[in-house]
Formats: sequence, C-alpha cells, structure tokens
Amino acid sequence: MLRYRPFETASLAPLVVFRLLFGALTLFGTVRFIANGWVQKMYINPAHFFGFYGFEWVRPLPGTWMYLPFILMLIGSLCILLGALYRWGAALFFLSFTYVELLDKTNYLNHYYFISLIGFLLIFLPANQHFSLDRKVGWVKEIDGKRWHTDLLKFQLGVVYFFAGIAKLNSDWLLDAQPLATWLQTHHHLPVVGDLMDEKWLAYTFSWFGCAYDLSIPFVLLSNRLRPFGYVLVVVFHLLTWLLFPIGVFPWVMIFSTLVFFSARFHEILLKTIGCRSIESKTNEKVESERYPLVRFGLITYLLFQLLVPIRHLLYPGHLFWHEEGFRFSWRVMLMHKEGYATFYVRDRKTKKTIEIKHSDFLTPIQLDQVVTQPDMLLQYAKIIYAHYNGRKLIFGNHTVVLNDPLVQAEVHVSLNGRPSQLFVSPEHDLAKLPYNLNHRTWIAPFQP
Amino acid sequence: MKRKLSIAFIGFLLVVSCGKDKDQTPEFDKGEMLAQIADNVILPAYQGFSVEVTALEASLNAFHATPTAENLQVLRDQWKNTARSWQHVKLFNFGPAMDYALKTSVGIFPCDTALIQSNITAGSYDLNAATNASAAGLFALDYLLFQGNTLSASQNNANYRAYCLAVTQKIKSEVSNVLNAWGSFRSTFIASTGNESTSMFSMLVNDYCQDYEEAKTAKLGIPIGKYSLDILQPQYIEARYSGFSLDLLYESMTVLRDVYRGIGPNGVNGVGFDDYLIALDKSTLDQNIVNNYNSILSDISSFSGTLETEMQNNLPALNALFTKISNQVIALKTDMTAAFGVLITYQDNDGD
Repeated sequence: MLRYRPFETASLAPLVVFRLLFGALTLFGTVRFIANGWVQKMYINPAHFFGFYGFEWVRPLPGTWMYLPFILMLIGSLCILLGALYRWGAALFFLSFTYVELLDKTNYLNHYYFISLIGFLLIFLPANQHFSLDRKVGWVKEIDGKRWHTDLLKFQLGVVYFFAGIAKLNSDWLLDAQPLATWLQTHHHLPVVGDLMDEKWLAYTFSWFGCAYDLSIPFVLLSNRLRPFGYVLVVVFHLLTWLLFPIGVFPWVMIFSTLVFFSARFHEILLKTIGCRSIESKTNEKVESERYPLVRFGLITYLLFQLLVPIRHLLYPGHLFWHEEGFRFSWRVMLMHKEGYATFYVRDRKTKKTIEIKHSDFLTPIQLDQVVTQPDMLLQYAKIIYAHYNGRKLIFGNHTVVLNDPLVQAEVHVSLNGRPSQLFVSPEHDLAKLPYNLNHRTWIAPFQP
Repeated sequence: MKRKLSIAFIGFLLVVSCGKDKDQTPEFDKGEMLAQIADNVILPAYQGFSVEVTALEASLNAFHATPTAENLQVLRDQWKNTARSWQHVKLFNFGPAMDYALKTSVGIFPCDTALIQSNITAGSYDLNAATNASAAGLFALDYLLFQGNTLSASQNNANYRAYCLAVTQKIKSEVSNVLNAWGSFRSTFIASTGNESTSMFSMLVNDYCQDYEEAKTAKLGIPIGKYSLDILQPQYIEARYSGFSLDLLYESMTVLRDVYRGIGPNGVNGVGFDDYLIALDKSTLDQNIVNNYNSILSDISSFSGTLETEMQNNLPALNALFTKISNQVIALKTDMTAAFGVLITYQDNDGD
C-alpha cells in the first residue's frame, strides 16, 4: 500500500472551482437571508439570545447594526468569488458568519456549521492561485498546490456524510422509519406520487436507502470507476430532499461541494471552458523534502477534532434524542421530529403564589419552538425568567408585589418521533438554581421508549 | 454490491416519480379537508357574523329611533348573538382576516372606557386609528350597551348615539371587506396543503392552537389571577359589563371542538382534524381530545353566575377548569401537531 503523501504537488483546479462555487453560494445565501427578512426576525426582534456554552460572551449588535455582519459576509463572499484579497475575504466571511451563528443556538443548523468550517478552511487553502484578481493584479505569488489542499475538503465532506449515516443507525430510523414516515405523509395530497407518500414501505425504503447512501457515498465518490455514478446519486438524493423537505440551500451546497471529488483533469477542462488560461495539468508530480511541521500539526489537530466531536455523546448516559447531550456539531440531520409544550411558572418561595409565564413576553415563536424540546435551552430560559423577576416590583391593579429570589419551575411534555407525548420536565425542579454546564442533566424525566 | 444497491435505488426513484401504480384512493385528503373547512366552516362563519352585525345595526337604529327599555333589551340580546357569532370567526386569523386586521378591529378586550368616554365627549374621532383599537369593536359595545346608564345616555346624548353607531358600522364594514376578499382567497386557501409554515394548512393548525391558548389565557387565566400571583384581575374580564364571559368561553370551546371535527355553524360534519388523526392511526388521541372538550364544556356549563361572581364565590372550580383547559393544550400542540408533521412556527426558515 502506498503511503499517503499530503505534501505531494497536486493540481489546484478542484480547489479553484470549489472557491468559485462556494463564493457564489454564500453570496446567494446571504442575499437570500437578508431579502427574506430573517436578519430582523432572528437577530433584531428577539429580546433574549441563547448563547452556546462557553460562547455566551458573543452578543448581538444593537438594532439595525445587526445588518453589519451580513454586509461583511457579502463582502467576504465577493472576495472569495472574485479571488480578490481572497484570504482576507475568507477570514472576513468566516468571522462574520461564525459570529452570527454563535449568537443564538435557536438558529443552529448543521449546514450552517458546515459553512463555518469551510469558511475557516478556505483561509488556509490557496484557492486564489488561478482565475482570480489576486493573480491578475499580482497580489499573490505563484505557489504549487499540495495534495492536502483538496483532500482536506474531501475529508470534511466525507465526515459530514459518514457521521450522518452513523447517526441513522438507530431503531427509530431503521425499525420505525421515523421521522420520515411523519414527514412523508404530509405530502399525501400531491398529484401522482401523493398516494405513495403515506405508504409505510416508502418511508422504510427512504430511511434504509438514506442511511446506506450517507454511509457509502464518500467511498463511492473516491473511487474513479464509481464516481460519475455516485455523483448522479448525489444530485438525485439532494434534489429529492430539496423537493420534499423545507431545507433551504443545503442541497445545493452539497451538490456543488461534492464536485471537488472529481479529477484535476475534469476541473481543468471546466476552468478552461469558462475562460481560465493559466491552469494546466501538472504531470511531473514530485514529493517535497520539506516536512511542514506546523501544517502537519494543524491538520492532525483538525482531523482529530472532526472525528471526535461527533462521537462525544458516548460520554453521556441516557437517550441521545431525549437528552440531546452531544447532539449538535455531529451531523445529526433529519433524525428527530420533536414537538413539545412547556408551561413555566414563577413562584413566590414563601406563599407559593404563582405567575404562569406568557412565552411571547420573552421569546419569538421560533425561539419558543426550539426551547421547548431542548434541555439546555429550557435551563437558559429559566435563568432568563429568573433574572427578569428577581427583585422586580410587579403591579397588578391596586396590588404591588416584589418577588425576591423566586422559584422558577416548568412542566414540559414532549412527543418524540411519533410517540405519544410524555413528561419531559417535572415541575418539582427549581430550574433557575440548577447549574448550567455540560454535565449529564438528571432533571430531565426518564425517557419511556 | 454498492452498484447494485444504487441501481435499485435509481430504479425505485423512477418508479416513484413516474408511476402511479395503485388506484387506491387515500383515506384522507388534506385538500378536501381545506375545501370543506372553507365551505362548511369559515365562509358560513363569516356570513353568519355578517348577518348578526347587520341585525345589530338594525336593532341599534330601532333603539335610537325609539329609546325604550324594551328596545334596549332587544339590542342587548342582539349584541349577545353577535358576540357569540364572533367566536366562530376569530379563530381564522389568516388571509383576508390578517390583511384587514379583523381581530384587532373587532375583538380586542378589555376596552378602554376612559378613552371611549373622552371620544364621546370630543365628538370627533378616527376609529380606524391604531390608538383607538381598544375604544372600538364588540367589547367597546359591551361597555356602551351594558353599562348602568346606557338608556339615559342614549336618550339624551347625541354623541353617545353617534359613537355606538360608528363602532357598529366599523365592525360591519370590516367584516364585509373580509367576506368579499374571501371570494378570491378561497382558491388560494384550498390549494395550499403543504407542511411548510407558510402553507394554509399549517396556518390553520397554528391559528387553531393559538385560538385555543387565547381562550385559556385571556378568557379565563388572566382574570382569575393565573398570570398575576393569584391576584384576581376582574378588570381584564371579557364582556365584563354584559356578564357574558362564561357564555363566550363556552361558545369558543364549542367552536374549537367543532372545527376540530370539521363541523361548521350549519352543523354539517365534514372532514376535520379528527379524520386526519384517524387516518394516521391515532384514534386514541382523537378520542382523548373529543372527551377533553366535552368534559371542559360540561364544566363551563355547570357555572350559574357570571365569571366575575364565580371568581368571588367559586374560585377553586375555576382553577380546576383552568387546569383542565391547560391539559388539553398538550394534546393539541404536542401530540396532534406532531402527528400532522406541520411546522408550528409562523416563519419559514432554512431547515436541517
């Protein structure tokens, strides 16, 4: 077996094509985000934000200043697309995008995490070596491409698929075809295919093929023989998900990103077709004697990080879908249909007199939707409520009351993947006093399968 | 092996996308449900409300022409019919109702009596102004027609009469706007069957749950102190002056139960949420929901006084009713919406 040589000279053509597609997609995605009014809805309207553990110091900008990071994203995307001050542009894009994603876990999506990671990787990849303003103007020197430049992206894509496939190896997905059975039947009214959509066998077929697809596609794409065929699968698979589920631009991100698996020759032809003249195939691939210790260290660290973070849930007891400990940043997509209902109470410790919380006083509808099924967000919400009421003078008609150190309690019921709803949080816990950390949360009611 | 699997997959997709290899009709059709909800429930509700509002205007004019206690009684009875009819309409807060902000212009309570009085004294006002929202609508009429000296004020004060008429006519014009707009909106409504949050089916489910929660919170919870450390808040009672609150709660819960079952004001039992749940093999849940509604309705009808007097004399029973109503939310918002697979939020977003 040949030893893998990451520092072998290799064509940069796949990377350049990737840069163009990624820049165009993030430009489109950002414009779409702004045009849909989501900046206002997700980052200006909310009164409270649910920061990520350890990143609570990341705070939103006041009012319409929240448009600023999105404008920076647009500029960053343009720099990436045009290859103009490319590394600065990639850094700008990565920082502004990641800043926005860190503000509120309400809006966490695996594909946003993916975009963040790619933005980060692009900073270190010389994707502006061809077909770029940087080269035209002479802002960068010519350097050779290395194998690891494109392989790193292939690795990242492989990780996304493979862990998404591993995550599907669970009884809800394989034995009950959930949540696909729930989601597919919502299309039963469609002409022609509608009749099939509430058929159980269809949900099972989709579930099993989806799982097999995710687990095998990285290897299919790596094989020269199977690749064209695999790519057809990629396109069909993601177009289907795009048609059946409301998942935004993600299918397009994957359809375009996986092109990176194609050969250098393929990308060189592609680049020549769109008018890039500088690109040419390197036939004399040579191994450099240099060791690049820093790059080596960085790559190994990143690889380990990507391989270990998705399996950190193994450190926790309890049901992963129920407790959601180690759920995010692990490529667990489309695995759960969770609906919940939460009633929060603020109680006077002595008299036990109670206020039931009106969620709309604190949360936007989309925040509420996320909070009611996610343990860490329930706890953060309890602390927000506590901070609001503790020591506050409350006026009800002619009555004035001050609540000092009130109890914050909640009764939460959740339905998971088609099961009848069951108790999720019992009202006996003084939630605001519970520690917010990464330890196993024992106050979540045990899951009854 | 992989190749074989993939070929099978592609072949399968071709079958899915090109072939209709079964002629079995689906047990439940969302489009049919929306069409029936539109024709059996929503349109009759708007038409019924429109008829009641027209009758209200007529009784108001009759009373103003001959301001006797008898005519006032006729007028008050007609107001009650109108307020009851409003319960059938307010649930559907999407499409034209949303465009014309029908709920804000007709159904806001409690009304601002000080503002109403100052408008009457001034003699000139713009009831379309947002600042006058709580000085107009059905519950401004609750005050105007049921407060202690309605008879003498109507006999002696031309401004008072004019204000009552202006409020009534505004309701009438709002509902006729919405009813007219439904003429063309109907086809949009019945065609929008998706599960994305902007589809009409999702809107219907969301509005249904929201209307239920409003009944729980505004009609009962707030007055009986559930949001105020158990301090009673009679000033927030709906229809406080007519003492009609519990009747309206009863009517609202009846409407919620009936819409759930696809029953409209005319009593025809069409396709509703219950049929969808049964088609999804959730008949136990369906039975629970219906039983809960019936139990809630029987509890409400057991009260003999007004909400305000029951709050003084019978608070534990009201608290028990509140708990019962709260428990039903879990069945609706968690189990029912989970089974339907609709997105419960009001905004579309990138999914995962």
